[in-house]
Amino acid sequence: MKGAIAAALVGLMILGGCGGQDAGPAAPGAPGKPRIALIMKSLANEFFLTMEQGAKNHQATHSGEYDLICNGIKDELDVNRQIQLVENMVSQGVEAIVIAPADSKALVAACKKAQDAGVVVVNIDNKLDEGVLAERGIKIPFVGPDNRKGAKLVADFLAKKLQPGDPVAIVEGVPTAFNGIQRKLGFEDAMNGAGMKIVTSQSGSWEMAKANQVVAAMITEHPDLKAVLCANDSMALGAVAALKSADKVGQVLVIGYDGISAVRERIKDGSILGTIEQHADQLAVFGIEYALEMIKTKAAPADRETPVDLVTLEQLNAGETPAPQ
Amino acid sequence: MNSRRLLTDYMALALVIVGLVLVFGVSTQNFLQFGTFRNIANQIPDAMVVAVGMTFVLIIGGIDLSVGSVLGLGSAMLGLCLVRFEFPLPVAIAACLATGLACGLLNGFLVVRWRLPSFIVTLGMLEVASGATYILTQSRTVYVGEPIERVSEVAAFGLSLPFMLAIAVVVAGQFALSGTVFGRHALALGANAESARLSGIRTRGLTVAVFALSGVLASLAGMMQCSRLGASDPNAGIGFELQAIAAVVIGGTSLMGGRGSVVNSFFGVIIIAVLAVGLATLGAQESTKRLVTGGVIVAAVILDYYRHRLNKA
Repeated sequence: MKGAIAAALVGLMILGGCGGQDAGPAAPGAPGKPRIALIMKSLANEFFLTMEQGAKNHQATHSGEYDLICNGIKDELDVNRQIQLVENMVSQGVEAIVIAPADSKALVAACKKAQDAGVVVVNIDNKLDEGVLAERGIKIPFVGPDNRKGAKLVADFLAKKLQPGDPVAIVEGVPTAFNGIQRKLGFEDAMNGAGMKIVTSQSGSWEMAKANQVVAAMITEHPDLKAVLCANDSMALGAVAALKSADKVGQVLVIGYDGISAVRERIKDGSILGTIEQHADQLAVFGIEYALEMIKTKAAPADRETPVDLVTLEQLNAGETPAPQ
Repeated sequence: MNSRRLLTDYMALALVIVGLVLVFGVSTQNFLQFGTFRNIANQIPDAMVVAVGMTFVLIIGGIDLSVGSVLGLGSAMLGLCLVRFEFPLPVAIAACLATGLACGLLNGFLVVRWRLPSFIVTLGMLEVASGATYILTQSRTVYVGEPIERVSEVAAFGLSLPFMLAIAVVVAGQFALSGTVFGRHALALGANAESARLSGIRTRGLTVAVFALSGVLASLAGMMQCSRLGASDPNAGIGFELQAIAAVVIGGTSLMGGRGSVVNSFFGVIIIAVLAVGLATLGAQESTKRLVTGGVIVAAVILDYYRHRLNKA
């Protein structure tokens, strides 16, 4: 009895990840039709939800070619749960796993086990650590954006609005996150290159309220601050709120990263200068297409970089890079 | 309360605050100025009102782990009512508070109906409320802007309406605790539930009322946070419960129930906020911030231990 309940619960959890209309993962796929598991980070994050929707839409139009099983974890720090998901998918006998690793090192061992079991593995979004991959002697193709390049792109745009020597501040993501570190490096590349002075750099933990608190303190300690570079859009919104209460909107420029719809509003009203669109809806699709190719050819293709695009008032007015639906 | 009690009761925490302010004042350039204190005052109303609710919950010997997610749910409800359904502000605020009240009532009902530990009931509510928030918002940040920012823009002497509201909640909370039957009964229930019941206190109704209060104050905090940020963050309030519990315990409220003070919880909130703002002004790294905050929380509780020994002497 207990076993039956547990099985039902597991089934519910897996189904819940994908919504009702998808081909049920527990149901056997049509013969010859591969099953692909998409394992993401937190579905509480707009970025991954968009990614999931993009993948679902792709599956719906290619339903003859493959079945899709989507799963996410509770929050981006729940590494253990993501490892369990990889193991579950392997024991379910899927043909391929497309994964956005919550941790670039901790997930390597689980991915190796999957490869050893004959499952095709494609890494998207957050790149697995090359050192650890080499140590384990495995190759996993990576499909995703270059966060450092994206961050440099938006920060370069900001630099054009500043004078060399202007004091600027960086609001980082969670200190351990690879993409957060890359974005910080990209910001530094652009600011140091243009001769700006980075007076402080602190974590806003990816959160609006936390960034609000940090930025409010930054502008009191550095009243001459000219710009705040935020590693994601939620934190950029928190920064704008801090500037608003200090009556400094417009005096201090703000940039973000991710291109969420709320930030597009703030770009239109001029309180945020720009952000980066990473085309989340296409990210998983590219990964899935790679996986399908690998299942057919059995060869490992090279890494593939996905586009990062600047979003500013100019682009929004021109109607480019519309918000993903 | 004689003057010596008053001195030992409030002075210890006030001294900690003054000490922190002095340390940050000398170690940074611009900490000691009006702007810093206005920042702190405008950032803590949410923590203040949640701490008031949590003080009552701890006093009756319970715990409410759901406050952070109920804050997030209240904020999401408010944002959606204003943006998607285009309700007028008062209706949206009422819906926000009603959501928190419903969560709190449900917590209280589950605790008394099946005599469940509040730890596990509110842990369940933590998950349910955050799940509901993600469904409602589709995990997207709801941009509200002007309609809700108006609430925070009302100000006197640089202090926002939410801060003044929060001060009123603290004052009312302390009065309810030390000056009304409700407060006395809550203290009696926390000290010894069985003897409180035998002496004729309606403990079940009281428990439900306390959890309902905590729920409604959590959603009020959601409204305050939303008005400060101009948007509803679906991830708002993560870890907020631990921060609230820390503030209340720093203020000397016992985790075992039966003892507590709303005003001291307020001091606890200020200590945590001064630390956060001070460390950010210094530009400290995340690791340093955590180490120092943890150390100060424990040190403040140890100080509280000696304060009580002094009172008994």
